[in-house]
Amino acid sequence: MADLQERKIKDAQMRATINQKLVETGERERLKELLRTRLVECGWRDQLKAHCKDIVQQKGLEHVTVDDLVAEITPKGRALVPDNVKKELLQRIRTFLSQQSNI
Amino acid sequence: MSVHGCQHLSAFKAAKGTDPFRIIYSYFIACPSADARRIKAKSCVCHTCRQPTLRLHACMYCIYFGCYGAKHIHEHAKSKKHNLAIDLTYGTVICFSCEDYVYDKDLEDIARSFSQKPSLNLVNLKDPFSSWEPSEDELQLLKKNPKRRKVDAKSTVGLRGLINLGNTCFMNCIVQALTHTPILRDFFLADRHTCQMPGESKQCLVCEMARLFQEFYSGICTPHIPYKLLHLVWTNARHLAGYEQQDAHEFLIAALDVLHRHCKGTNGMSCSNPHLCNCIIDQIFTGGLQSDVTCKQCNNVSTTIDPIWDISLDLGPGPPAFSSHSTPSPGGTGFTNSPGNYEPTSLLECLKRFTRPEHLGSSAKIKCGKCHCYQESTKQLTMKKLPVVACFHLKRFEHSTGYHKKISTFVSFPDELDMTPFMSSSRNDNNGFSNQIIQDMPTSLSCDNK
Repeated sequence: MADLQERKIKDAQMRATINQKLVETGERERLKELLRTRLVECGWRDQLKAHCKDIVQQKGLEHVTVDDLVAEITPKGRALVPDNVKKELLQRIRTFLSQQSNI
Repeated sequence: MSVHGCQHLSAFKAAKGTDPFRIIYSYFIACPSADARRIKAKSCVCHTCRQPTLRLHACMYCIYFGCYGAKHIHEHAKSKKHNLAIDLTYGTVICFSCEDYVYDKDLEDIARSFSQKPSLNLVNLKDPFSSWEPSEDELQLLKKNPKRRKVDAKSTVGLRGLINLGNTCFMNCIVQALTHTPILRDFFLADRHTCQMPGESKQCLVCEMARLFQEFYSGICTPHIPYKLLHLVWTNARHLAGYEQQDAHEFLIAALDVLHRHCKGTNGMSCSNPHLCNCIIDQIFTGGLQSDVTCKQCNNVSTTIDPIWDISLDLGPGPPAFSSHSTPSPGGTGFTNSPGNYEPTSLLECLKRFTRPEHLGSSAKIKCGKCHCYQESTKQLTMKKLPVVACFHLKRFEHSTGYHKKISTFVSFPDELDMTPFMSSSRNDNNGFSNQIIQDMPTSLSCDNK
């Protein structure tokens, strides 16, 4: 049990360190921009935008909140990301990590 | 959803101005320097759970960062009665009293001023994505034309028939193929052409193409009569004028040539060095064909690379490879149908034949540049650079000693085409070859070449 706890703590630390490195070097911004470009190219953004419009029409413009929209489109958005985009991003992150000597 | 915020935000602005927003934004959202990024990296964690979670929010009243998912920022807002916070990912302001994000014009102006600063160049983002904002002119246009069309999976926008104006099917099929080439369509529908013949737009074939795209994508379903296009083609390519049957491939090459010339605005003269041309036609259709001539004596290879717009493939019975006789004689070459018969029946077989080394017989001896003697040589064609859209021309028209015969062999082509074996890099036995897979054959026409 203590082992699991330790693992969890170490994972969290690792996550924090990696995130820090990503932000410091500006890589996080570049990755975000790359992801944005790919998702626009494959039509993901347009699909989700259309879905959002439907939701707003359904709920009425005055009553819908950002949280409503987030709750509705998050599962759909996650499912619609094409595999090759996921692979490309993962590859970029792996390459970045391999270049960091002090992790 | 107005841009006047809410009463709580207005009260906040009256009391503290827009500086809190500006400070938080500049430090944590649009980091202008490497130092700022370092600070951001270290401090952007939730103060409650110490994790760099998503959707971190910064309280506008005091120094507190809280995550949204675990509701830490909500707790802070309730306990301290600080009901305004900024989302650190996007810079939007949430008002907990109104229970939603609010948008204020002053704050949006501040945010916009940050995104235009050169901070983005530091992380090598030259052209970041931004959503489209209409200009004043565009707003007027949109108000005057209230009809909207939604393009979904079932819509037939872009499909339109073409009337035959007298044996013009050769032109019609090429026009159909061009209007459905996605890259070309995007170029014209995004209005990227500036006419090089101001005042004479009616004479410009590129402008005519733009008008044609407008016709095709207007949503009208009745067939279009391309008489203006035909007239322009006749004026610019005299050899195609008249009502006889013409060759579709010739039309394609003539049309691309005229479009290329009109893109550059020169009258009559083609650009002498196509490598320097950057017009849309060259960007899309130009590939590089490498021709290697190997001298049989000294094995010296002389290479030339020519820019080409299409790849012309032979059909019908062909000469075998590596024949030692000067006259071609029947022999097996490994095509799929049978050892003795070497007629290609698929695009891959045509390409194999195209890139096969050809022995130039004794009647075609070439003076070698290295050993300076007339020797027999082998010639091989490979693709040095693939075009974005490849046009394959099947030579169905056989010029044989004065008589015209059409080769009607069925030639199949695949959905996905891997051009790796036909590239120059494969020939040079490079290890670092790049996979150039052309998917969904962009221009596939089966039309009669007469």
